[in-house]
Amino acid sequence: MAETSLVAEVRHERGSRASRRLLASGRIPGVLYGHGESPVALSVGGRALRAALSTEAGVNALLDLSIGGEEHLAIVREIQRHPVRQTISHVDFQAVNRDEVVSVEVAVTLVGEARAVSRAGGTVEHLLAAAQVRARPADIPAALEVDVSELEVGDSVLLGQLALPAGVSLDADPGTIVVIAHPPRIQAAEAEGAAEGAAAEGGEES
Amino acid sequence: MLMPRKVKHRKQQRGRLTGVAKGGQTVDFGDYGIQALEPGWITARQIEAARIAMTRHVRRGGKVWIRVFPDKPVTQKPAETRMGSGKGNPERWVAVVRPGRIMFELAGVDEQLARGAMERAIQKLPIKARFVVRPAPGSEAEVQVQ
Repeated sequence: MAETSLVAEVRHERGSRASRRLLASGRIPGVLYGHGESPVALSVGGRALRAALSTEAGVNALLDLSIGGEEHLAIVREIQRHPVRQTISHVDFQAVNRDEVVSVEVAVTLVGEARAVSRAGGTVEHLLAAAQVRARPADIPAALEVDVSELEVGDSVLLGQLALPAGVSLDADPGTIVVIAHPPRIQAAEAEGAAEGAAAEGGEES
Repeated sequence: MLMPRKVKHRKQQRGRLTGVAKGGQTVDFGDYGIQALEPGWITARQIEAARIAMTRHVRRGGKVWIRVFPDKPVTQKPAETRMGSGKGNPERWVAVVRPGRIMFELAGVDEQLARGAMERAIQKLPIKARFVVRPAPGSEAEVQVQ
């Protein structure tokens, strides 16, 4: 995985008011921690951060963080967002080494169409959207793919059944269900609900 | 309709509707969701109406999650009653919703059908809300804004 460079500045002013001022000026407040060092409060450019995290590697991109001329290898550990605007309000960077194995969350994506399930009127439920894996920073995959084209009604795929790339191991229960194919559901419950609704409406009118 | 089975106190004070949702801000179970953009009280009837609108539009397949629960009793005095004589009787149950809250989720259908179903459900709600798609974890994709 190629490293993406990102320039950060040390943040001297702390607190919510200073952070709000930073956000208004287009910079994102953040923090760098890890390896037993004391955490460094910093800020990065909003556009630069977005560009750094929009590569093929996604949010698990390996970053070459430059703070006042000093280089740090880091990954993004957490991103805080505004619940409505979805804008980034704070970002956590974790310092890493190239040879250090880290635990990160990787997306689990479904590939193919479960024809057997759709033909039978069933549904494919994607239960696990992200899985915790352990890997060296350079080996972190962008996503774990699950081929569901052979899935039949009643089948499920477990986390332990996924083919992991070289250098990647699971950091979660291998028995966790990733995807499950449900049989078609007879809409009896809905019909019941409609009958109840009609009864309630009748009751209101009288 | 949804309501608590048992409550500790029959009547509650109104409370305040300031700020944004503290939890339940992300689509966690399904692929699509309805996100509140305004604060408000959603009654059990409105939740049920939205659920029915959604399931009727989807017809077959699909799974619906209701992420809000009406656990707040709202009292009302009978019509033409003089003021005083204590607080009114509990009349309905509401869920307190603040901006950002994911109220419903849907999975097992394509995006177009989900959008249609959820837009119908939004019509049943007393607040502004939007259709959101769960962003792929690990991607920097923003929540899709309608």
